[in-house]
Amino acid sequence: MSTEAAPTKKLSPNSIVRARRRAALRRFTSAFGRDRGGMLGLVIIVVFFALALLAPLLFDRSELDVTQATADPYLPPSRTYWLGTDDSGRNVLALVIWGARISLLVGLSATVLSMFIGTSIGIMSGHFRGVTGGAMDRVTEWFLVIPYLPLAIVLATVLGKSIWVIIVVIGVTSWPGTARIIRAQTLSVGSRAYLERARVLGGSNWHQMGRHVLPNVMPLVLANTTLAVSISILSETTLSFLGLGDPTAVSWGSILETAFDNGAISLGAWWYLAAPGLCVVLVVMSFNFMGRAIEGILDPREQGA
Amino acid sequence: MRARSRRARVIAACAAGALAMGVTAGLAGAASADSTSPTPSSGSKSVLTIGTTDDIDSANPFTGYSVAAYEIFQMEYPTLTMYSPTDFSPTPRLAESWTESADHLTWTYKIRSGLKWSDGAPLTATDAAYTFNRIINGKYEQTNYDSYTANMVKAEAPDPTTLIITIKKPSPIMEKLYVYILPEHIWKSIDEKAVSSYKNEPAPGQTTVGGGAFLMAERRTGQFIRMVANPNFFGGKPKVDEIDFKIFKNQDAMALALKKGEIDFADSLDANVYKSLAGVPGVTQFPAVYSEFNELAFNTGAALESGKPIGDGSPLLKDKNLRVALGWAIDRKSLVDKVLGGLGSEADTIIPSMYANLHLTPANPVTYNPDKAKQLLDAAGYKVGPDGIRVAADGTKLSFRLYGRSENDISKKSVQFLKGYLAAVGVEAKVDLISSDALAEKIGAGNYDMFEWDWVVEPDPNYQLSTFTCANRSYLDSGSVTANLSDSFYCNPAYDALNEKQSTEPDVAARTAIVKQMQQMLYDDAPYILTFYIDNLEAYRSDRFTDFVPQPAPNGSLLFQYGTWTYESVQPVTNAAGDSTSSSKAGLAIGIAVLVLVAAAGVVFFLRRGRTGARADDEE
Amino acid sequence: MTLFQEAGVDAAPSALARAGRLAGPSTRYVAKRIFAALGTFAFVVVFNFFLFRLLPGDPIALYTKGRDVDPAQMRALRSTLNQPVLQQFVNYLKNPFSQDASSVKYNLPAWEVIGTRVWPTVLLVGTATLLATIIGVWLGVRSAWARGERFDKVSTNTTLVLYSMPEFWFGMILLIVFSAGVFGLPGLFPSGGLSTPGVDTSSPLGWLNVGWHLFLPVTTLTVIYLSEYSLIMRASLIDEMGQDYLQTARAKGLKEKMVRRHHAVPNAMLPTMTLIFLNLGFVVGGAITIEYVFSINGLGSLTVDALRGPDIPLLQSLFLLFSAAVIAANLFADLLYGRLDPRVRT
Repeated sequence: MSTEAAPTKKLSPNSIVRARRRAALRRFTSAFGRDRGGMLGLVIIVVFFALALLAPLLFDRSELDVTQATADPYLPPSRTYWLGTDDSGRNVLALVIWGARISLLVGLSATVLSMFIGTSIGIMSGHFRGVTGGAMDRVTEWFLVIPYLPLAIVLATVLGKSIWVIIVVIGVTSWPGTARIIRAQTLSVGSRAYLERARVLGGSNWHQMGRHVLPNVMPLVLANTTLAVSISILSETTLSFLGLGDPTAVSWGSILETAFDNGAISLGAWWYLAAPGLCVVLVVMSFNFMGRAIEGILDPREQGA
Repeated sequence: MRARSRRARVIAACAAGALAMGVTAGLAGAASADSTSPTPSSGSKSVLTIGTTDDIDSANPFTGYSVAAYEIFQMEYPTLTMYSPTDFSPTPRLAESWTESADHLTWTYKIRSGLKWSDGAPLTATDAAYTFNRIINGKYEQTNYDSYTANMVKAEAPDPTTLIITIKKPSPIMEKLYVYILPEHIWKSIDEKAVSSYKNEPAPGQTTVGGGAFLMAERRTGQFIRMVANPNFFGGKPKVDEIDFKIFKNQDAMALALKKGEIDFADSLDANVYKSLAGVPGVTQFPAVYSEFNELAFNTGAALESGKPIGDGSPLLKDKNLRVALGWAIDRKSLVDKVLGGLGSEADTIIPSMYANLHLTPANPVTYNPDKAKQLLDAAGYKVGPDGIRVAADGTKLSFRLYGRSENDISKKSVQFLKGYLAAVGVEAKVDLISSDALAEKIGAGNYDMFEWDWVVEPDPNYQLSTFTCANRSYLDSGSVTANLSDSFYCNPAYDALNEKQSTEPDVAARTAIVKQMQQMLYDDAPYILTFYIDNLEAYRSDRFTDFVPQPAPNGSLLFQYGTWTYESVQPVTNAAGDSTSSSKAGLAIGIAVLVLVAAAGVVFFLRRGRTGARADDEE
Repeated sequence: MTLFQEAGVDAAPSALARAGRLAGPSTRYVAKRIFAALGTFAFVVVFNFFLFRLLPGDPIALYTKGRDVDPAQMRALRSTLNQPVLQQFVNYLKNPFSQDASSVKYNLPAWEVIGTRVWPTVLLVGTATLLATIIGVWLGVRSAWARGERFDKVSTNTTLVLYSMPEFWFGMILLIVFSAGVFGLPGLFPSGGLSTPGVDTSSPLGWLNVGWHLFLPVTTLTVIYLSEYSLIMRASLIDEMGQDYLQTARAKGLKEKMVRRHHAVPNAMLPTMTLIFLNLGFVVGGAITIEYVFSINGLGSLTVDALRGPDIPLLQSLFLLFSAAVIAANLFADLLYGRLDPRVRT
């Protein structure tokens, strides 16, 4: 607070909180900027997002239409086709860049869904003692136990093959992991003094959870989210590879599916297999690096020795 | 200090050891894979190994109905006649000759004499009569053979070499009864109740009892089936001692196995996999013409046999003009080039061109002409809407569900192309890929607009033609809708009348004329739009086996035919033994070199580590 | 046991723990965990039943396409599959592991079909998990010890990259390089399956043949699993090494190496092992895709095939089996943790 004249601005509690949060954010971003792995991950993600958004400008949508493909199938990489052609003669580079849109869209949407469900249930099961909390914890454990891939396959088969189904399926099958972690954090936050005070002062459960617990688990949620995105993208790739995605949508997983079904391995068409897979690896790896960087900043024990 | 670095080295050495073991396993495996005889036997044994992606569903001739199962059955059990390898005409097998009575209702077959089953028991007309009667009278047994026996009254064997079958109405199929004759002395002890669960697989060390060229010696579900030559076969002992079917889960694996010599014959290959075998030494590719057609099928107005409408198919597809117009929008040549890799031909009518005698080449062919398609659609009253999709007079958009089969690669690819072609003329196709079972259910209930499927047509057209009759539409059984053969719900009394005529016409020329008329009718009404006839892509090791017999000559399928001609004639190429091991010998040499290099590198690394590593560890 | 004594901490807790091991809190803990596991299993059994009723598809329709099935026959078939749902549920509850549940596709009891395909999966997954655990733990420990040094940086970054790979993609790359052979490399390994037909798999030569076939798929799974295990072990050990009791031990003059080897690592093993067990679901998923890519005739590819029908009795049994395995693994992990770490029990 400056002792100079002029600012007669009243300092409300809210503005103090905001100022504190802004300072924390600044500390965080500068710490993140120092983490090489995290920065590399961020750069790669930004590049992929840019490519995904610019896809229609780089390659016309008609390049995805099999009936309009004019090149020979299975051409190896050359100057005209940087990543060669696929089994129908389409440009693999076009496929991969357009595929980024679906893969990233599904990955992010599914993560939002699973984080929302997982965080809500995690906070509620950690906050509510007794039957409600216990029941939620039970449900979380049940869903943790059911093997993920068979469940996802069954749900996708029942609900039909579309992008939205895949998003829902991934969201619905991956929330338990998050819920568990958030619950543990909620339990530890719950024992803190200021929460006691809030309870004593008559704050409702929602008030406690929304204004006190949530902001305190947010950092963990954030770190968890980046890791959840990488899981979602891997899941979408797997489900599309097994043929459960929208048959007319092009995603990295569906490119791999078509390649596998059409003899890419026995024909030695390595470019057709390598390109989409490497994209998945790069994006997932980048989110993993970013997640580790965030974790490293937020976890005091990781700092120093 | 020293202990820790030593432990690290030990662990790393173990890892290297594991790697070495893996490589050794590889070499040993490569070496052992060359031994093609399954059981240690004295003397050299010739084994033809056939690779396939379809396992048999059952070894019981009353249960199994997959293509693979039929192949096994025709190897094990004789039939009265067999389709000739040159032109599908009926050729004497168990029956030396046959005559038809004047009233066309009694057929007399002269059975060869002096024949034996593989266990030595006599093979006579009594076994044939037993088999036919069992099917005629059996509820379970008739499941697979009803198309042959529905018309039969009874079968008799007045003496060991005479078989008499009486039928209800004159029939042209009595010369081509594809019913496997079973040994009475074995099957009479398996009663009605037991037969549906009877496996018909041999006990270890034994074979099934049969009268065909080969007998089943061993079956491992999902892995392989071993068939051994029948010394008592009436056509003479086959020249190959054993035929093994090896089951693969995917085509790539099968093609690679052929390249490496793990198998000698690969059947039903996909176009891309087939092409990857070009130029492989010792392997010959064989693109056989085949009797399979693929079609885009329509729901022309789903209704039960009784006439009651069912399902939720779009009523717009009842309009013949719409369906016919769409036929001009499909680029069949492009489909053959891109989906089949050029290995097939454009299709027109439902009797494939491979059956040269019966196939009709329409005088009014439908070709690829999107402009004409658009004209016809305009003329039929479907104007293009603001979003490019055509609209009917009542305002309904021309937007249809198009189903493909998720486990069939050709189907998956075709529907993408069909969607594109239809979109180009203003018709929207919403593609969905579902399993064959799920699709069969939808079709039976009439809950579809269009789908893509295929049929394999037998030499006798009766079955295929009957799928378009009114009587073969779905029916009610105990209140639930049950699917029958019709998958387009086509119903035309004129067509039914012609079908009735051809099924009882004894004169071949007259019958052929009727069959062609029926093809024309279907071509003009378009319940199906045929896309292509697909080749059966086969490849085999011509450096090991020779004397394969194509059916029909000269370029029909070599295996999985309507007959066992190849199995009876194929023989090993002399001087073939041992040559195919040269590639694995090269592998062996390379493997040993790699192993030595890894070991040497490992030794050097650990010696160096030992010196510097210990120092770092001791720094505390 | 030794950790408390060496650190000079009051020996009372461990003595209490030892005394209480046979009765009291420990037994209560075990009972509680077993009860919880049974509860979870019950939920799975019920959930399992209703889940598969949802699947579309009529296997009967395909069965009858192209064949003249006697109407009475079909009615009988239909009736077994189309009993009122409640009736089916009751039958199912009576014995979820019933021998009567017959697979539609294979015409055999579902458990018999599963029985024939268990060992390829166990062989594949078991070998990979074992190798991955050994190598992964070793790598994790070494990385944690050498924290911040080049070894750690290289291994952590490598495992992070490996962990980001879809396992089936890695498998396909290995296939194309080592089986099909690209860039002039000879394909030394088989393209799929478990063994060459006709080779007697119970003979030593047969074992080598199986080993040759399994080399690539096991390598694929091992590499993916070990990256996860090594990251877990590393994090767990780093956590452990910062603990207070170890500071005390160091203050008492114990060499760092002794601290690590005798205290930190064994204590860090515990959460690692339990996390490995808890991730069994992940292992199941890997088995499914890898068996599909490598044409291995195990439970994973059986699941994918059964979904094509759908072959409901078979699917139900498979799902039950997978869930039971994961529950059992979780229970084992909990009990193991309880036995080895007295702090959990009290």
